[in-house]
Amino acid sequence: MSEELIELEEEEFTSQLTAPVFKRILGLLKPHWKWVLGFLLTIAITSALDAYFTYLNKQFIDQGIVLKDTARVLHLATIYGGFIILQAGTVFTFIYLAGVLGERIQYDLRKMLFNHLQDLSLSYYAQNAVGRLIARVTSDTGRVSELLTWGLVDSTWSAMNIISSTVFMLIINWRLALIVLMIIPIMIFIAIEFRKRILEQFRISRRANSKITGAFNENFQGTRVVKALGREDENTREFQGLTTRMYHASYRAAWLSALFLPTVQIIAALALGFIVGYGGLQIQIGNMTIGGIQAFVAYLTFMLWPIQELARVYAETQHSIASAERIFKLVDTPPDIHNRPDAVEAKTLLGEIEFDHVDFFYEDRKSVLSDFTLKVNAGETIALVGPTGGGKSTIVNLLCRFYEPSKGVIRINGRDYMDYKLESIHNKIGIVLQTPHLFSGTVRENIRYGDLKADDSRVEEAAKIAGAHDFIVTLEKGYEQNVGESGNLLSVGQKQLISLARAVLARPELFIMDEATSSVDTLTESLIQRGMEALMKGRTSFVIAHRLSTIRRANRILVIENGRIAEQGTHAELLKLRGHYYRLYTQQFRHQLEVAYGVAEPVDGGEREGVSADSIMLKREKPSEEAVSAD
Amino acid sequence: MTTLQSAHEPALTFDFRPTLQPNRLKGLWQMMSDYRLSYIAATAALAISALSKTFTYILLRFFADDVLGQKKYIGDSLTSSLIWIGLGFIGLAAFEGSFAFLSGRLAAYTAEGITRRLRDFLFDHIQRLSFSYHAITPTGDLIERVTSDVDALRRFFSEQAIGVGRIVLLFVINFVAIYNLNSELALVSVVVIPVILLVSIWFFKKVTKAYEDYQAQEALLSTTLQENLTGVRVVKAFARQDYEKSKFEKDNWGKYLKGKILLFMHSMFWPLSDIVLGFQMLFGFVYGANMAIRGEITLGTYIAYIGLVVWLIWPIRNLGRIIVSTSTGMVSYGRLMEVVKQQREPLLDGRHQPEGPARGDLVFEDVSFMYSDGKSDVLRNVSFHAKPGQAVALLGSTGSGKTSLVNLLPRFHEYTGGRVLLDGVELKDYSRAYLRKQIGIVEQEPFLFSRTIRENIMYGVGRDVPMEEVEHAAKAAAVHDVILTFPDGYNTLVGEKGVTLSGGQKQRVAIARTLLKNPRILILDDSTSSVDTETEAEIREALNGLMQNRTTFIIAHRIQSVMIADLILVLDKGEVVQMGTHAELLKDPNGMYRRIYDIQTKIDAELENEISRVN
Repeated sequence: MSEELIELEEEEFTSQLTAPVFKRILGLLKPHWKWVLGFLLTIAITSALDAYFTYLNKQFIDQGIVLKDTARVLHLATIYGGFIILQAGTVFTFIYLAGVLGERIQYDLRKMLFNHLQDLSLSYYAQNAVGRLIARVTSDTGRVSELLTWGLVDSTWSAMNIISSTVFMLIINWRLALIVLMIIPIMIFIAIEFRKRILEQFRISRRANSKITGAFNENFQGTRVVKALGREDENTREFQGLTTRMYHASYRAAWLSALFLPTVQIIAALALGFIVGYGGLQIQIGNMTIGGIQAFVAYLTFMLWPIQELARVYAETQHSIASAERIFKLVDTPPDIHNRPDAVEAKTLLGEIEFDHVDFFYEDRKSVLSDFTLKVNAGETIALVGPTGGGKSTIVNLLCRFYEPSKGVIRINGRDYMDYKLESIHNKIGIVLQTPHLFSGTVRENIRYGDLKADDSRVEEAAKIAGAHDFIVTLEKGYEQNVGESGNLLSVGQKQLISLARAVLARPELFIMDEATSSVDTLTESLIQRGMEALMKGRTSFVIAHRLSTIRRANRILVIENGRIAEQGTHAELLKLRGHYYRLYTQQFRHQLEVAYGVAEPVDGGEREGVSADSIMLKREKPSEEAVSAD
Repeated sequence: MTTLQSAHEPALTFDFRPTLQPNRLKGLWQMMSDYRLSYIAATAALAISALSKTFTYILLRFFADDVLGQKKYIGDSLTSSLIWIGLGFIGLAAFEGSFAFLSGRLAAYTAEGITRRLRDFLFDHIQRLSFSYHAITPTGDLIERVTSDVDALRRFFSEQAIGVGRIVLLFVINFVAIYNLNSELALVSVVVIPVILLVSIWFFKKVTKAYEDYQAQEALLSTTLQENLTGVRVVKAFARQDYEKSKFEKDNWGKYLKGKILLFMHSMFWPLSDIVLGFQMLFGFVYGANMAIRGEITLGTYIAYIGLVVWLIWPIRNLGRIIVSTSTGMVSYGRLMEVVKQQREPLLDGRHQPEGPARGDLVFEDVSFMYSDGKSDVLRNVSFHAKPGQAVALLGSTGSGKTSLVNLLPRFHEYTGGRVLLDGVELKDYSRAYLRKQIGIVEQEPFLFSRTIRENIMYGVGRDVPMEEVEHAAKAAAVHDVILTFPDGYNTLVGEKGVTLSGGQKQRVAIARTLLKNPRILILDDSTSSVDTETEAEIREALNGLMQNRTTFIIAHRIQSVMIADLILVLDKGEVVQMGTHAELLKDPNGMYRRIYDIQTKIDAELENEISRVN
């Protein structure tokens, strides 16, 4: 699911402000209260000055022109000029304070979320799409900070503008001011109703828009089918249905927006007409001045803007609160897997590892692994084979303590591994994933990820052991070559070699490898093989195996199907059984040799362009075992 | 190339190809055709609305000078005059509001209308571009153009084109109004306008640059975040949480700093321009007040002036912003035109238009093919004859030209030498639409659309298909039983929101799709074998049914798949190195076919060996 779709979906949720949430949102401002006070004060002054300028204009007329007092005009102009400069100062201050504080709050929230995400366990990731988590850190934080800064600025400005205008109007003529006071709530009410409807149409149009993008995407990717089946005309007709829907929604949103201001304006004009008529009479009896009338006209004309702003902030507030609630919910999620209070350091993982009747299932889901029992001696290599979704990755995830058993115990050197400190297990494990995951940065940085303290010579030594050195030096910038986003500038085989080197550098005691199914060229293939062998030497290894050589070399092979061990034994023993393993093996054997002899084409494990990012998120969507093994 | 505006194509309201102009403004103007009137009307309505506002102040002047000052009443009393003036204000506001709304509505009509037909056109246009264009153009790039660039043009029409008009109109109307009140006053009111306009253009260019920096930093932050979240297993496995935190911290803080720069620019520009414009206003006020005191202008004129001058001065600041943002629209226009100018594949062009279906007799005579870059031959001198109903197998390794050869049949690509005859008529004389109707393609892992299974099976049949027929096809393709196990049966969605089909299931759905289409010529891509053993037999059976009475091309790599073919072509580097039946080809001991056969026999033997070794 794309980020856009997630955002759309989440926009559906609006929340009413409850006291605890409100308190918590305000709590975000607490460390920065001086800044908040600063911008609230300066925006209030700015707003009051706006109203005061209109009042000064009245004075120009009534005290200057009507009384023909040039000195008074100059005096008023001096005051006016002084306040222009003062206002420039307050404008500078509130833009800077509110704006920078907004960035700061976003920074704080992102930091808080990211750090918490690092502590959450893998099962959380399996159940929450990456796209959603990204939306938390990017758009939700933005929306909350927007509310807390510009939302406050705009509503303060609006409220202050309405209040100070009203005060000045009351000073000029309280009877007329009361009339204005009566229509303000009506205008605000109408404005809010308009806003809601506009937002609704806007959302419909955005949803239509994401469908349109989807249709484009699918049509581009399926070009061959479209052309072969001659579907062009029908596709266009269907597409026109989508654009028509989009057209209606966005047209409606646009003209509702266009209707909004005039409507409020006309209501204001009704009051205005009355004020001019009634005010004219008041002038006759000396209750009103001509400058006063002018001021009323100006106040009413410009009152549209604060009302519009208030309505906007109000309508958006509900979404911002929903964002805040989502952020709080994530931060409040405790990590499933954490150190026990009396956890001890695991001195070594080299020793007996035992799965004792282990079950694993997700919350309210059917079991992924059941009654799994296995004893492994130090230095053994265990190959896990079997169909996708059978439970192989779960075993590996349990072993790494990314998951913990739902039932049963896993023991390392005879002790329940939950007694050990998490870090002390993790920093003794080396892992190479099926689709190797690299980070943006140089080759060297990626290998050094295995041991941050390693110097350059150790990095290169690890690369040599893993068989990656030779290709790295052929890169234009060698070890300093940039690998691109997620390592995408390198081939799959190269990425595997680098992740092997990374694992070598970590000097693990337990090595875990999820072999890639996609093929690489023969040379790289043999390099990877050699690198793996180097890594497995003297270590306990678990390999989710696809390559015959790996399978054959294993001390023991486990065929995992439907969350259970279907068969187990050595290569020879299992072949004799002529069961699951035999079928898997012969098929793989034939295919691999065909590829090797060049008579068959390797299965393409590469990702289709344009869908890769989405499909990663999509896979994460489903809390299945596959989801977590996908990377 | 544009000869085919027949009933065959859906009624597209507008062809954007003529909007390709060297002068971009001219091109944009072309895009507006049919909507120019509404655009002009929107602008005119805007003018009327602005005029109404201006007249509000003129009415205020009348009220102050004539009614209150000189006691010239409408009707016979002050009260009736005041009522009339009050109504006048309301009337003018109603006028102003109605025309503002009308203008907004017309502008929306223009912008949304143009955008809609632009999207329709692009969708239709792009799917009619040649196969080779699609092969070399990344999907992501095209998507970017049809979404972001289209949206930039929408904003150009809805906000920028009308926005510039709005500000210019406000300026002109109010300037003329003030000029009519008093020309001297009008001139002293606009002294700083050119300066502020230039400064704001300069400023918004700078801000755009700073904003791009800010967004680049945001992209960097997103990448770090995305990589961290998708690589969570690596992070945890190496226990690198702290390292990740500090890496994120660096980018996060970087964004904060970039944001600070951006905000500092804003917090300098707005108050400084406030000061300049504020003093310009004040200058006008004092100047006007003194004129009023000296009696050069009336009190009413002064009151009207201070109302009007606001609309003259303040909008100018925003003009700079809009002018700068139009450049985005211009760039997007250029990027879209790069797609628009691509040549379409004429679907209907062809001298030979047979009534009924083809027989399926195909003759290749010395056929060669190279891509338009002309670098190397993909196919060289290929000659063979496939009789109606025969099965022709293409055997060869990756890059041997198998796929390129079959791509010539539906005219995805055009052969560059020799000729191909279908039922005795050269392929190039048939229309593409006709050929594609005659040909069915089943790929190893076919592309299915995110629609229901039923719709996928019916996809491309081009007629209403009764359910029984769909089920019949699915049964023949051995996929009916699988479909029934899905939650909504035939109405189950494929993909993201529904079920994920395995490779074998997808292939069988594609077979059902092809059965419904009932083509005379069939292309089967069997070149990879990722399907598990259980389903292979079912697929094989379904395929055999499909091949009945059709001329079939099988792309294969395994001897077992090609043995039964009537004619086997062994391809190597674009050339047919061997041709014949299985039995014939085996006889040549040095032939490539024999070699492949031997390898596969050897593989089987090795397998047997290995198994017997352990036994």
